[in-house]
Amino acid sequence: MIDLNERISEKKNFFNRLIFVYIFFGFLFLYLIYKTFSLQVSSYTDYEIASLKNKTREILLQPRRGIIYDRNGEIIANNVPSYNLIIKPSEVKDLDSVLSNIRQIIDISDSQIDNIKDSYKTKKKLNREVVLKKDLNNEEIAKFEVRKYKYPNLFIAERYSRESKYPNLFSHSVGYVGNTSEDNIEEILSLQNLRPKETIFKYSNGYMSGKTGLEYVYDKELRGLYGKKIFEVDASGKLLKERETIKAIDGKDIHTSLDLKAQQVAHQQLNNRRGAVVAIDLRNGSIVSYISSPSFSVNDITNGLSQDDFDKLINDKNKPFFDRAGQGRYSPASTIKPAIGLFGLEKNLIDWEFTIQDIGFFELPEDGRIYRGWKKGGHGRINLQDAIIESSNTFFFSLAYQTEVEELIEYLSNFGFGQNVCSDCFSPDKGLLPSPAWKMNTHNFGWFKGDTVNLGVGQGYLSATPLQLAYYSAFLANKGSIDSFSFVQDNKIKTKKIFISNNIKDNDWRKIHHSMIGVIESPRGTAGRLKNLKEYSIAAKSGTVELVSTETKEDYKIIRETEGKRDHAIIVAFGPMPEPKYAVSVVIENGESGGSVAGPVAIAVLNSLIKNE
Amino acid sequence: MNKLIDSLRSKIYFDQYLFISISLLSLMGLIFLYSASDGNISTVVKQSFFVIFGLILMFIASQPDPDFYKNNSLVFLIISIILILLTLLIGKEVNGAKRWLDLGVFTLQTSEIIKIALPVYLAAYLYDKALPISLLNTFLTLFLILVIVNFVRIQPDLGTSLVILIAGLYILFLAGLSWRFIGVSLSIFILSLPFIWNNFLEPFQRQRVLTLLDPTADPFGSGWNITQSKIAIGSGGIQGKGYQMGSQAHLDFLPETETDFIFSVIAEEFGFIGVCILLAVFFFILIRCLYLALNARDRFCRLTIGGLSLLFISTIFINLAMVVGIIPVVGMPLPFISKGGSSLLSFYIAFGIIISMASHKKLMQK
Repeated sequence: MIDLNERISEKKNFFNRLIFVYIFFGFLFLYLIYKTFSLQVSSYTDYEIASLKNKTREILLQPRRGIIYDRNGEIIANNVPSYNLIIKPSEVKDLDSVLSNIRQIIDISDSQIDNIKDSYKTKKKLNREVVLKKDLNNEEIAKFEVRKYKYPNLFIAERYSRESKYPNLFSHSVGYVGNTSEDNIEEILSLQNLRPKETIFKYSNGYMSGKTGLEYVYDKELRGLYGKKIFEVDASGKLLKERETIKAIDGKDIHTSLDLKAQQVAHQQLNNRRGAVVAIDLRNGSIVSYISSPSFSVNDITNGLSQDDFDKLINDKNKPFFDRAGQGRYSPASTIKPAIGLFGLEKNLIDWEFTIQDIGFFELPEDGRIYRGWKKGGHGRINLQDAIIESSNTFFFSLAYQTEVEELIEYLSNFGFGQNVCSDCFSPDKGLLPSPAWKMNTHNFGWFKGDTVNLGVGQGYLSATPLQLAYYSAFLANKGSIDSFSFVQDNKIKTKKIFISNNIKDNDWRKIHHSMIGVIESPRGTAGRLKNLKEYSIAAKSGTVELVSTETKEDYKIIRETEGKRDHAIIVAFGPMPEPKYAVSVVIENGESGGSVAGPVAIAVLNSLIKNE
Repeated sequence: MNKLIDSLRSKIYFDQYLFISISLLSLMGLIFLYSASDGNISTVVKQSFFVIFGLILMFIASQPDPDFYKNNSLVFLIISIILILLTLLIGKEVNGAKRWLDLGVFTLQTSEIIKIALPVYLAAYLYDKALPISLLNTFLTLFLILVIVNFVRIQPDLGTSLVILIAGLYILFLAGLSWRFIGVSLSIFILSLPFIWNNFLEPFQRQRVLTLLDPTADPFGSGWNITQSKIAIGSGGIQGKGYQMGSQAHLDFLPETETDFIFSVIAEEFGFIGVCILLAVFFFILIRCLYLALNARDRFCRLTIGGLSLLFISTIFINLAMVVGIIPVVGMPLPFISKGGSSLLSFYIAFGIIISMASHKKLMQK
């Protein structure tokens, strides 16, 4: 037994210790209250935001892509509604029976069924839609609509696809859209301060962006701004209810300068031959026709075609994807002659009275090498005007022989050779304007006088795209002042490039024009066959691009057995004269005769353009 | 009439302060649980039965004389140890833990019984030992505590084993464990922490500790619970989002809303004001317990009241500290508030014993 003293000391000891522990816990609880206070009061805003972020999910809304018009308001690239069959998994009890029921009226492939089953569970959990079939046809829509009451958990919703009513006419100018890579999506969205996330699509192809042509160049304008739908979600990400919608802003429509009728004419005239047509409105430098042939259907590329068909396109030896108008390189051949003539006038090497005796060939004094003309025996005594009309090679060989090549090259660059002449074309090629330095670098050979002589008739290293040839044509038509080309009406305030010339007078330009009218009108003109085709007075210069150099007509007969070795036909033209409104260039690969093969195409396009003013 | 009441009062043992405050707390718990369970009425009805049954148990447990507990404490302890061992052998396994005995109508969490039986036994064993407690007695009792704690730990149930350890140590401490012994063993404990870390904690328990130190390291993995709980509490602000309006709780961001994390739901929906009111009720009970302990009739009663009330404080603190992110997630319900069977009933019984110790007065104090 414990005695009284001990009991009192025990009691005191107990009191002290119990109160000690209580005080200890008092401090712990104070800290706990402080901690709660700091969470709920001091850091309240942070946690309120965190809680809000937790329970909301933003879903992006895809904007509608801008429509592309021709210059008369015809729609050339549009958004066409397509219809998708969609299931709401959260309202479905037995997926298999729903699927087998719907398959009785609408054909769904086995692989698609597998896809549906794969994604079904998660989509159901998250309250999302599952697409059963894309792009239903009218028959399928009708079949479903009359039996709708049998399928309360299925519905048809509208999605767009990018389509053109003229799928082959604008393949290389307007181009096409396609699915976008992850990186590209990130880039596109980051421009709008967004990050890739779940998106409600307006298009059945999902994310898409311009891949070529104007669809690519003006992608940013056409694309529009993404909107947002803000949902309340639970921890699993299931959508509960919609809280807010920020509408998407549709893309801007683009009014191009392209002319549907001219495009149709050009396409029809080329008739799937390999070639290109570019036509320009001289009043503002806008491109009214831009055709590369053969073409392909942009609708197929955008909205899908079978692997076989795609392989066929890719492996086609005529290369339909290749943009001959902007990227094909061709020697200008005789079409260069007016420019060489202008250079002679500028440098006072010749005047309009100056003549030479054309004996059918030019002999290079240095080594006696022979440069032949196309006419055996030559054109006789000939001046500049006739040399253009009859396309005398000898005249321009001997003129070029007298030039300083650096000066000539610099002069030619004014005409667009070796330059980018278009402000909104999709990766245009600059062609090749050769120079002694260039030849040394690439061929490791010095510049020969013969190279200069060849330059005089547009053969040799010099090459240009049909687009550049159209620029050259427009430059001649506008007497030297010209706008940079563009596909869009009133795109930007343009500054006309003024050609500064000391010795070329208006009279000289008129005489050049007159000579080029003579190419068609004169009995001796190289494009005399066009006389009956044209409806207006047209100035032109044809050319024939030799792919293989031959000595005699007999030699050429042998090589023309192989189609790919035949000469290219080429022509530049403008009209109506004397106040030209349109300029055009036409190239037909292996077409042989500039005047009679490329010429009719150019005339038809100009006729259409001028007639439909 | 008055005589009748007086005679009833002399036969019934009762503490109106504790009875009213615990009933109030239980009622608050039911209201909170209704929201925390997403308006699940059957959960609330089931819990109401437990509350009523618990209050009755509390009343019954407060009727016997303290001597009854003192004399039978060894029997209770042995029964509880047998139950614990049975649990380890034939217990029901849930989520890889064997903590429950299936009794048909009711699954019993046996560690909840020994949580009460051990401190009562220790108080009964130590009340008449001379001061300071001899080294032999210290080691005997420590050994007993550690054996029982280890039985619970291997279920595994870290939270409850921790509480049992703390409860046992309180009794030793209150009974007069020498300061020198405390100092020496504390140093040994601290030095052996790395050893405990490596050998006594399950990998997931270690992960919980690491998560506490940096919950942002893996916010969607093991840090999820702490992060979401903090967001729930923090976003409650001063006034709270309103009853049943807590988005963290109702959109399933918060885990275990009905049990371990019910405080986060309260804090989210009732804000700092609600938290303070809840804590005030707890503090009232604790202060009342302190008063009763200091005025108990003998050493056994003092030790029992002190030990059980400290068990109560510790449970509250561990739960709250866990949900606000001060200590690792150990799995500890909030007494009288969280949904539960055994864990809820054990505290009613504990308070029944406290009331018994406090309300039975002896004319001749020992």
